Amino acid sequence: MSRHQYAMVMDLNKCLGCQTCTMACKKLWTDRDGTEYMYWNNVETRPGMGYPRQWDTIGGGWKDGNLQPSPIPSIDDYGRPFEYDYEQRLFEGKGKPVMPTPDPISGPNWDEDVGGMNGDENFYFYLPRICNHCSNPACLAACPRQAIYKREEDGIVVLDQERCQGYRYCVAACPYKKIYFNEIAGKSEKCIFCYPRLEKGQVNACAAQCPGRLRFVGLLDDPESPVHKIVLAYKAALPLFPEKGTQPNVFYVPPFNPPKRGNYGKSILEDPRLPLEYLIYLFGPDVKDVIQRLEAELVRAQAGGRTEVLQLLIGRDAETRYRIRPDLVQSNPINKA
Amino acid sequence: MCTIRQATITAALLCVAAAAVEAAAQPADAPATNLTVSAAASQLPAEAWLDPTAAAWSEVESRQVALNRTPPLYDTDPPTSSEIASAEVRMTRASGKLLVRLAWKDPTDDEAVIAKAPATPPEQRRMKEHSEASNRFFDATAVMFPTNLSTGAVSPSLQMGDPQLPVTIYYWNAARGALLMSAQGRGTTKRSGESFPARGGYRDGMWQVTLELPAVPAGVPLAFAVWNGSQQDRDGRKYFSVWYRLQ
Repeated sequence: MSRHQYAMVMDLNKCLGCQTCTMACKKLWTDRDGTEYMYWNNVETRPGMGYPRQWDTIGGGWKDGNLQPSPIPSIDDYGRPFEYDYEQRLFEGKGKPVMPTPDPISGPNWDEDVGGMNGDENFYFYLPRICNHCSNPACLAACPRQAIYKREEDGIVVLDQERCQGYRYCVAACPYKKIYFNEIAGKSEKCIFCYPRLEKGQVNACAAQCPGRLRFVGLLDDPESPVHKIVLAYKAALPLFPEKGTQPNVFYVPPFNPPKRGNYGKSILEDPRLPLEYLIYLFGPDVKDVIQRLEAELVRAQAGGRTEVLQLLIGRDAETRYRIRPDLVQSNPINKA
Repeated sequence: MCTIRQATITAALLCVAAAAVEAAAQPADAPATNLTVSAAASQLPAEAWLDPTAAAWSEVESRQVALNRTPPLYDTDPPTSSEIASAEVRMTRASGKLLVRLAWKDPTDDEAVIAKAPATPPEQRRMKEHSEASNRFFDATAVMFPTNLSTGAVSPSLQMGDPQLPVTIYYWNAARGALLMSAQGRGTTKRSGESFPARGGYRDGMWQVTLELPAVPAGVPLAFAVWNGSQQDRDGRKYFSVWYRLQ
């Protein structure tokens, strides 16, 4: 158990799938040799294949205290990077259209906006994903090199590039497939929760750039932090696939779109746009309680009342959404101080 | 030696019995094995031996070294079959070096040329080198010695040495080349960052690899290992020999 635990909440009702977070992360961390195919932060359409393809069904994580097997995804499961041949079009005068090479056959969010069917109506939403910086990380347990460790001071899970030998047991063990192998370097790498930014009091790049203002960051054990309030006080957010046993520290406010025919007095769960079974698949059975709780808050707000949790989830400014405390991280546990 | 997890109980008992006979055939103060590999002196320079297909190698005494498959190390390991039963070892001394040629049959050629990161920092280049694959592993081989080159009766732990007797590993990988490593027990392997001369090639279902090592005195124990990329071998997931003695 780390002394503190940084956590992130993502409100899925606000994600517009613009990939600005993805690009912020890519530009900052994975614009190096061997890292083109990696998106430490990705946004995928749900229901959908995911990135890498079928990551949610291929294995990894824990069951009855034992690590579960999983294949290592192929480069085509992630999406092989391609380049455009601008030279011949712009400088060599060949007049051919600019074409990607190699011919793209897959990619992150390849099935963008395809979604699924609810009866005869289409539905989808976006799921932004980073490393969950789990409290019981399967990657850490699987590494025979002890190259992965959870930072004592803030719970961020990092991978020591000096110790890593590129064995990729961690890639298989992570049920979220959030560790990537850099074949040029011969080592694996992962999201570092922007710890160099946090140590300077700056929020994660993905959160800072998000135009939807859907990310909340702080210490889970800091009662004043938005993540503590949303996850523990208001119980309005849940981890992804809790049954995988890794105890994620990234939490999601589930989509609670209005009912299809709300004007007729039905509630979200009576007449859902998104099938409840799919949300239960992603977030576990507690998602029903969370949606009912949020709907009740919504009804109160619509009746002119004030709700603290919805006000918080609006996240008007950075001070509301983030509480980055390098000073606290370096000190004793907050609740014991 | 046997891969117990894959053997029947009867076969395992036979295996233990065979090892006991082997041990009984030796004097009490001798190393616990009579398995030796000879390395005769040669007049040819070391460079001439570095080519594993050089005709001179056919004149050198060969020894078939039995290889054992490590049992599954982790609960999540997929089951594997034993595909490489042995490796042929030939050794010679030349120009103050010990040259080791390993040859083994492997139906799959798991090698690749992996791009090197250019010296120019990536932020100064528009194009970056790509990872061609995320899930492939490569064929490899290695020779392990006690770091102190002791000829004493006690050999280091076969599992990457131990704190009392660290080991030096001359490792060659079909994609990444020759790497000098050291270890003092399982999970402690360290790359030195240094390389050493080595050459390997795959032809007609067989790997032939030559490693040029510093002079090693007679009597020093040594062990061999082979990794099969198509079986996702890496780490302790490999084929290994018992300790031999250099002669």
